[in-house]
Amino acid sequence: MHLNRNYLLIIFVFTFLLFTSQNLFADSLNSLQDTTSQVQVEQDIEHETDLPSALSVLPFVILLGMIATGPLFYHHFWEKYYPVIAILLGLVTVFYYIFFLGDTHSLVHTAAEYLSFIALLSSLFVASGGILIRVDKKSTPWLNAGILLFGSVIANIIGTTGASMLLIRPFIKINKERIKPYHIIFFIFLVSNIGGALTPIGDPPLFLGFLRGVEFFWVIQHVWYIWLPTILVVTAVFIFIDSRNVSTVESKTKYTGKIEFKGIKNVFFLLIIVISVFIDPAVISWVPSLSPLPIGIREIIMFSMVIISYKQADEDILRANEFNFDPIREVAYLFVGIFATMIPALQLISHEANLLGEKLTPGIFYWATGILSAFLDNAPTYLNFLSAEMGKFGMNVNIPAEVLSFEQLHPIYLSAISVAAVFFGAMTYIGNGPNFMVKSISERSGIKMPSFFGYVVKYSLPILIPIFTLVWLVFYFQKG
Amino acid sequence: MKSIKEVLEEKKSGLFFGNRVLLPFTCHILKLNIENDLITDFSPSCKGVHISENPDFMEIYFYDYKDIGEVITKYEAIKMIVVEKGKDVFNPKNYIKLALHPEENNQLRIEKLGENQIFIA
Repeated sequence: MHLNRNYLLIIFVFTFLLFTSQNLFADSLNSLQDTTSQVQVEQDIEHETDLPSALSVLPFVILLGMIATGPLFYHHFWEKYYPVIAILLGLVTVFYYIFFLGDTHSLVHTAAEYLSFIALLSSLFVASGGILIRVDKKSTPWLNAGILLFGSVIANIIGTTGASMLLIRPFIKINKERIKPYHIIFFIFLVSNIGGALTPIGDPPLFLGFLRGVEFFWVIQHVWYIWLPTILVVTAVFIFIDSRNVSTVESKTKYTGKIEFKGIKNVFFLLIIVISVFIDPAVISWVPSLSPLPIGIREIIMFSMVIISYKQADEDILRANEFNFDPIREVAYLFVGIFATMIPALQLISHEANLLGEKLTPGIFYWATGILSAFLDNAPTYLNFLSAEMGKFGMNVNIPAEVLSFEQLHPIYLSAISVAAVFFGAMTYIGNGPNFMVKSISERSGIKMPSFFGYVVKYSLPILIPIFTLVWLVFYFQKG
Repeated sequence: MKSIKEVLEEKKSGLFFGNRVLLPFTCHILKLNIENDLITDFSPSCKGVHISENPDFMEIYFYDYKDIGEVITKYEAIKMIVVEKGKDVFNPKNYIKLALHPEENNQLRIEKLGENQIFIA
């Protein structure tokens, strides 16, 4: 079944490239002197005038609706058929763009973005799967808080996915004698979400922004003073709750205090992946562009790291981490559908925002991005609202130069959606990719996790919403 | 009938066919994990799993999975917390954590959960 599913994904990508390749090569011949920027920009603008029909958003709405409801209400059907559903819905949009709008540029652009996105996520996931950390220390609220803070920081270097995969098992193990669901939920809040708000590697929405032209260090410069107090407040709430959880059974376990780290080879591979993020012609001028191919040197390095880090990983570590490709396979399938179906949504939202203009404030963007990021995936939500914000100022999200101008001219708008997309991803299990992975590992470790609604009602509404409201009041209310 | 201890010492394997697992011992199962399902309800009305005890072995049927060999990949396992028949189920010292690994020819390797693998009681 898995093998068939993989073929399905490969067939989809190749069909897609086949349909678009003719046009793509014609473009490259016409613009031998300047393969990327100016011609592409003109074509983007030209196609911008052919707005897709409002009905073309339907596959996107259906797909996001099913992602939200599938794992909860028709679990077994969804688990079996999500690859087919994601690909079929994606194909509806692809065919609409090819045969009705005659626009292959948007499709090629999106394909390149998808490949960059999945290259980063899969390489971080596989490389971190070959690392094992063992902490033989007694669980205390302060030790736990230290791990959560450490995870929040490294999430910006190896991604929320990498940090979650690396730390969730040692975190469960340290707390094995007094573990409660709130331990895991605070881990999801901080390490799997809020922590990764400082760099494009941290969380998928920010990486999509980076691919569109937001400078790598823009986020840390404009978000750190929101990130730091939020992290500290959430950690303080955790320490308060954890201090009240005193085990009644006296532990006879003797702790050596040792911290063991295995899989150093994979740390080296992680380092290569992080460095490769910058290996892009747009960042370093001497890096060759592989245009008209939809991938670059960066993606080739990242995909190579997937294979090398898996082949080189210690089998005992993979066994201890119960490593399997299911979580990343799921992300690959769902996002091929999301990336394809969201193309018309991006164009229409941008157009509508341009019309609404003045009515849209940073505060509105903060809450709209946040609420949708909580219940849909935060990556496409971020991109939709980036498109909307830029549309408000008559700018085009498809043009990197305009994205650059936008971040300089209207930083508060970009900050609002960056913060909201990352922070609110913690609101539900489906808000961000690693949330479900952490839940799954915890359940496989014997911890009974709350239901979807239990998570929202008992934890995210009472803990996160007051903190996020404070963030809005201090940083975005009546601003812009 | 062999005890769990003997089965582990002799490295005896179980069997699996499709969604059916055969274990060469009988025991009290307290908790079981397969894929993302954490199962603690082993009552006859439970829809996900059915346990059948025979004099020398026991069978577990996983209704939500067609073929365990396909579902459980190379580095994964079915994890269980069990107690030997006749031992006190209320004493945590009697808890045994097992990992079941599907292998070739329908063999099911049975081993104690490794030090690094976590399964909290």
